[in-house]
Amino acid sequence: MNALILSAVLGVIMMFSGILLKQKSAVRGVAITGLAALLLVNILELRGIHFFKIDVAGMMYFDRFALLFISIALFATLVYFILSAKDMEKVGADYAEYFALIFFIICGIILVASFKSLLILFLGIEIISIPLYILTGADKRNLKGNEGSLKYFLMGAFSTGLMLMGIALIYGAAGTFDVEKMKFAIETPAVLPVTGMLLLLFSMSFKVSAAPFHFWTPDVYDGAPTVFTSFMATVVKAAVFIGFIRLFDETFGTFQVKWQMWLAVIAAVTLFIGNITAVFQQSVKRMLAYSSIAQAGFMLLAVYAMNTSAKEGILLYAAAYSLATIGIFSVLNKLNDYTFEGFNGLAKQQPVVAGALTIFLLSLAGIPLTAGFLAKFFMLKSVIDTGTGLWLVIFAVLMAAVSVYYYFRVIQAMYFKEGKADITVTGRFKWALVTIAALIIILGTFPNILINWLYF
Amino acid sequence: MIHLLQINPSTAEAGSYLPVAIQLIFAVGLVSVLMVATHLLGPKRKTSDKLQNFASGIESHGDARQPMAIKYFLTAILFVLFDVEVIFFYPYAVNFKELGWSGFWAVLMFVGFFLCGFTYIIKKGALKWED
Repeated sequence: MNALILSAVLGVIMMFSGILLKQKSAVRGVAITGLAALLLVNILELRGIHFFKIDVAGMMYFDRFALLFISIALFATLVYFILSAKDMEKVGADYAEYFALIFFIICGIILVASFKSLLILFLGIEIISIPLYILTGADKRNLKGNEGSLKYFLMGAFSTGLMLMGIALIYGAAGTFDVEKMKFAIETPAVLPVTGMLLLLFSMSFKVSAAPFHFWTPDVYDGAPTVFTSFMATVVKAAVFIGFIRLFDETFGTFQVKWQMWLAVIAAVTLFIGNITAVFQQSVKRMLAYSSIAQAGFMLLAVYAMNTSAKEGILLYAAAYSLATIGIFSVLNKLNDYTFEGFNGLAKQQPVVAGALTIFLLSLAGIPLTAGFLAKFFMLKSVIDTGTGLWLVIFAVLMAAVSVYYYFRVIQAMYFKEGKADITVTGRFKWALVTIAALIIILGTFPNILINWLYF
Repeated sequence: MIHLLQINPSTAEAGSYLPVAIQLIFAVGLVSVLMVATHLLGPKRKTSDKLQNFASGIESHGDARQPMAIKYFLTAILFVLFDVEVIFFYPYAVNFKELGWSGFWAVLMFVGFFLCGFTYIIKKGALKWED
C-alpha cells in the first residue's frame, strides 16, 4: 500500500517536474530519487511498517509474495533508470513525461501483484497497458514505432476484451468478483467458469506474449524505442506473470486438472517458437524480443506446476531475467548498429563492458553459477515435483540448449570477430554494469538471500 | 423486468443464457434477411450520380482526408475529459448525506487530482489557440 500510493503521487510529481525544472539532469535526479524512496517504503512495508491504513474492502492483499515481487520490480526499475535514463533523452522532447508514465506503470504493476478481486486485476492490467501504448509510439517520427504502437494497441484492446468477457462469465457463475469467495466444484466445474477460465487464459497469454498469442511481440519490441523495449520486456512481463500465477492459483486452483494440460501445451509451443525463431534473427534487438518469448515459456512452467518451488522460482526468475536483459539492452542502447556485426570486436575496445555482457548472456542461457541457471533449475524442479509432465521438463531442457546458440553468437561476435564496435561509455556506466553482473553471480550462488525474504 | 434482475447468480447456469443466444440469432438473422430481401425485392436503377460520394446534396469536390490542425482534436478530447468529470459528481450529490466527511475527502482528492491535470495541460500550452 505504501508503494502504491507513493508511485501514483510520484507520477504526478514527474509530470510537473517537466514544467518546473529546465534541466534534463534535474528531472532524471528527481526520478531516480523518487524510485529509490519507493523501493525503501516498500521494503519497510515488507518489514511490517505501514504508512497508510486504508480500508480496501478485501480487494487487495499485500502478502509477502506480492511485496517481495514489488521490491524486485522496483529494484529492476531502479537499475534500469541508472543504466538507461540518459538514453531516453534521444527518444523525444517529453523527457519528464516518460518517467511519469513509467511511474504510472509501476502503479499498475503493484495492483496486478496484489489483487484479490478480478476488478483490480483488470484495472492493473489496463494501467500497465495504456502508458505502454504511448511509450511504444514515443518516437513520433519513426514509422516502425508508430506501426508497433498501433499494433500493440489493437491487439491489447482485443485481448482486454477477451479478459473482460471471461471475468463477466466468472461473475455469472460465482456471483462475486472476490477471489476468496469463489468456490468452484473440483470434480465437475460448470460450463460457465470453465469458459471464463479459458478466456482469461487466452488473454493473459496475450499479455505475457506466450505462443500462439505472441505475434504482436517482435514487431512491438522491435519498433519501440530501445530504452522502452528494455522496460517492457522485463519488469512489465514479470509483473503480468505474477498476476497470471495469482489468478490461476487463487481463482482456478480448485480445478487445476482442467487447465494444466492446456498450460503445458502453451508452454511447450512458446518454448519451441521462441527459441527456434530467435535462431534465425539478424538483429540483436529482434533476437532479444524472441528470447523474451522463449523465457516466457520457461516462466509458464511455474504456472503449470503451481507449488512452493514454483512460487519461489518465479521470483528468482523475475529477478535474474530482468537484471540480465536490462543490462544487455542498456549496452544495445549505446550502439548504433543493432545487428550481430555491430558487436564485432567489442571485447578489444571495451573489455569491461564485454565481460559484463558475457555474464548477462550466460545467465540468460542458464549456465551454472549465474542466477539464470538456478531460476531455470527451480522451474524444472517445480514441474518434477508435481509428478506429471516429465516430457515438458525434457523438452524445456532441449530448448534451453537451443537458446545457447543465439546467445553465444553475441559473445562470439564480441571476442572472436574483427571489427570496430561504435560505442562510447562513461566510467559510471561501467561500474553499474559490473555491479549488476556481480549481483547476478551472487544470486546464482546464494539464491536464499532473495528467497528467504518470503519467510522471515 | 424486475423478475429478470432477481435471478440468483450462484444458481445461474449456461442454460439460463438461452435468451441471450436467441437474441443473438434473432439479431443476426434480422440483418441478413433484410439485406438479402432488399437486394431481391428492390428495383435496380443505376445512374452515374448514384455512384458519387454523398455530400449532403451538393456536388462533391476534393478529398475529405485533409490534414487538420491538432488543436481541434486536443480541445475536443480535453472537453470530453472534463465533461465526464462532472458525471462523477452526480452519484456523490445524490448520496451526499450518507457518505459524510469521508466521502467529502474522497471527492476533494478526486477534484485535487483533476486540478493537477488541468494546471498541467495549461502549463504545457495544450489550450493555446494562437500559434
